[in-house]
Amino acid sequence: MIQVFQIVILGLALGGVYALMSSGMTLIFGVMRIVNLAHSAFIVMAAYLAFWLFKAINLDPTLSMAITMPVMFLIGMAYYRILFASRADNPRFVDITVLITFATGLIIEGGLAFIFTGIYRTTTPEYAKTSYTFGPFFIPQSQLYALIISIVLIVGLWLFLRYTRIGNAIRATMQNRNAAQVVGVNVRWISTLSFGIGLAMAGAAGSLLSFVFTFYPAKHVAWIGMILCLVVLGGMGSLVGALVSSFLLATAASFVSFYLGATWAPITFYLALFLILLFRPQGLFGKKVEG
Amino acid sequence: MSDISPVNSNEHGAMIKTEKNSPLKPFIIPVLISMLFVVWKYVLSANGILKSPPWMEQWGEAMLILGLGLWFLFLLTPYITRFSKVNKWVKGGLPLLILAVFLVIPLIQIKTGTLNYWLYMLTICFMYIIWSSSWNIIGGYAGYISLGHTVFIAIGAYFAGMIFVFWRISPFITAPVAGIVAMVSGLLFGLIALRTRGSTFIISTIALVLLVAEILDNWKLTGGVNGLAMPMISLEGEIAKIPFYYYMLVIMVLCVLMTYFIQHSKFGLGLRAISQDEIKAEVAGIPTRQYKILAFGLSGMFIGMSGAIYGYSLTYLRPSIFLTVAIGTGIVLNTILGGKGTVSGPVIGAAIMLAVNEFVVSKLGATELNIVVTGLILMLVLLFFPEGIVGSLRNKGTLPTFLDWD
Repeated sequence: MIQVFQIVILGLALGGVYALMSSGMTLIFGVMRIVNLAHSAFIVMAAYLAFWLFKAINLDPTLSMAITMPVMFLIGMAYYRILFASRADNPRFVDITVLITFATGLIIEGGLAFIFTGIYRTTTPEYAKTSYTFGPFFIPQSQLYALIISIVLIVGLWLFLRYTRIGNAIRATMQNRNAAQVVGVNVRWISTLSFGIGLAMAGAAGSLLSFVFTFYPAKHVAWIGMILCLVVLGGMGSLVGALVSSFLLATAASFVSFYLGATWAPITFYLALFLILLFRPQGLFGKKVEG
Repeated sequence: MSDISPVNSNEHGAMIKTEKNSPLKPFIIPVLISMLFVVWKYVLSANGILKSPPWMEQWGEAMLILGLGLWFLFLLTPYITRFSKVNKWVKGGLPLLILAVFLVIPLIQIKTGTLNYWLYMLTICFMYIIWSSSWNIIGGYAGYISLGHTVFIAIGAYFAGMIFVFWRISPFITAPVAGIVAMVSGLLFGLIALRTRGSTFIISTIALVLLVAEILDNWKLTGGVNGLAMPMISLEGEIAKIPFYYYMLVIMVLCVLMTYFIQHSKFGLGLRAISQDEIKAEVAGIPTRQYKILAFGLSGMFIGMSGAIYGYSLTYLRPSIFLTVAIGTGIVLNTILGGKGTVSGPVIGAAIMLAVNEFVVSKLGATELNIVVTGLILMLVLLFFPEGIVGSLRNKGTLPTFLDWD
C-alpha cells in the first residue's frame, strides 16, 4: 500500500510539469485553432536557454524563468505575426499550420543540435540531487519545486483569463472568433498576445524541466506526442482539462513504469492518445470541434 | 468490396482482358521455369527438403530477379500496349526513354563496375518516389495529410525481415505479401482513424508512428532497440545492388501507374471531390468513407513492398531507421514540393529533394543542418508554393508536355 502511495506521489509530482507543458499548447489551440506541433521544440529551446544561462552565469533554473518567459513571449508574438496572422482566414489554414509548425520544430531541432550538439543535457542546481522524506514516503526536491511553480503559474494564467479585461477578450475569442470581432475585440491582436502567452508558458516549462528531465534536441518529438495526448484527453482548448489529464496520465504512466519498466511508460501516453481519438475525440472537457 | 473498388471496374477491366495479345506470351515458359528454380532454392532447399546443386547457389538470386522481372513485365503488358495505342508516345516519350536508361544502367555496372554509387542513389530515389507517389493517393487526392506513412515501411520491412530470419524465405519473394499486409493494416487503421478529419487526423497519424515505434522498441521478438540482423544477399559486391535496384524500379513503375489509373477513375474523381468538400461529396452520392479507407490502404501497399526490399538491402532493421515523424514529414514535403494531386509531381519532388539532400550532405556534411534545410524548404514551400512545381506550372499554362502525365 505504501508503495502504491509512493507511485501516486511521484506521478503527481511530474503531473505539474506536464500540465505546464500542455497549458500553453491548449491555449494556443483554443484561441487560434492552431495545433502547434513546434510547442515542445520551443520548450526544448527554452530548456537549452536555461541550461546555457546556468552554465554561463550560474543562474538558477527557477530564476532563469524571469528570462526565458519574456524571451519566449516575444518569440511567440513575432512567430504568430509573421507566419500566421495573415493566413487565419485561409480555408486550408488548419492543414497548412500543422505542417508549418512541424517544420518549425524541425528547424529548431536542427539548429539546437548544431549549436549544442546532441549530447544529453541537464542543469544541476543543488536541490536537483536531494529529496525530502516524510514518514515512509519521499519526493525529489526538484520535482516538488517544479510542481509548486507549475501550479502557481497555471492558477495565475487561469485567474488572468478569468478576471482581467484582456483575459475576457481571449476567452471570448476562444468561444467564437467572429462574434468576438463583432463586439469589438481586436481578434488579431488578441491572437498574437495569446500565442505569446502560450509560448511564455512553454518557456517556463523549459526552465523547470531543465532540472527535472534530461533533454536533447530530438527529444521534442517524444514530448510532442505526450503533450498532444494530454491536450487531447483534456479537450483541446480547455485549461482545466489539460491540468486534470496531466495528473491522471502522469500517475498512470508512473504505475506503468513501475510495474512494466520505464521503457513502457511512453506507450501509455501514445496508446491513450490513440484511444481517446477513437472513442471521444473531443476529450474530457472539450466541446466537439470541427476539423 | 465490389462496390468500393472501381479501379477494377468497367473500362479498366476491359483493358486487362487484352492480355491475350501480349507480346510477351513466349516468355511464359522461361518465367515459369525461373519461378520453379526460385521455389526450389528459397523454399525447398532453404528448409532442407531438397538439396540444390552448387550452380543454383550462385545463380539462384539472379534467376529470381529475372523471373520476377519478366513476370511483372508480363502483368504490365496490357498497360504498356494501352499507352502506345492511345498515341501517348509524344507525351510519354521522355519518361519511357529515361525508363529505358534505368533498365540499362545495371548492365554497364556489370561490365565496368563503376556505377555502384549511382545504383545505390537511384534505388533510394525509386524508393522515395514510391513513398511520395503512394502518399499522394491519400494526401494529394483525398486531402488527408498523414505524417504516419513511415509505419507502412516498418510493417513491410519487419514482416519480410522476420520471415527471412526465422524461415529463410527471401524478402524478394515475400515483398508482395508484405505489401498486402501493409495494405490490410492501412485499411484497419483507416477504419479507425478516418472517422476524424483535419488536425485531429494528423495528430492520430503522429500517435500511430510514436506508438508503433515504442512497441517495436520494446518487443523482444523483433529485437527491440537493438534491432534485427538479417543475412546479407549472397552476391559479390559489384552486382549485389542490382536485384534491389530492379525490384525497386518495378515497384516504382507499378506505383506510378497505379496513381495514373486512380487519377483517371471514378474512384480518383471521388477522392478529389472529398478533398474539395467532403459533405457535398457525400450528398452527391460518393461513398466517402469507403473511398477514404480504400485510398489509405492502397497508399500503404507499395510502401510496404518497398519497405521489405529496403530492409533487406540494409540487412539490419531498427525502429529508429524508419519510424520517425521527420521521415514521414519528408514524404509529405516531397509530394507537396512536386505538386500534390498530380501523377508526375511526387516523382519530380522526390528526385529533387533527394538531390538537394545529397548536395547538402556533401557540402555541409552535418546531419543537423540537413534537418534545418528540410524544415526550411518545407516551410517555404507551404508558405509560397503550396501548389508545388507541377501544379504551379500548370496554373500558368507552361507545364512542359513531358511532365504532364495526367
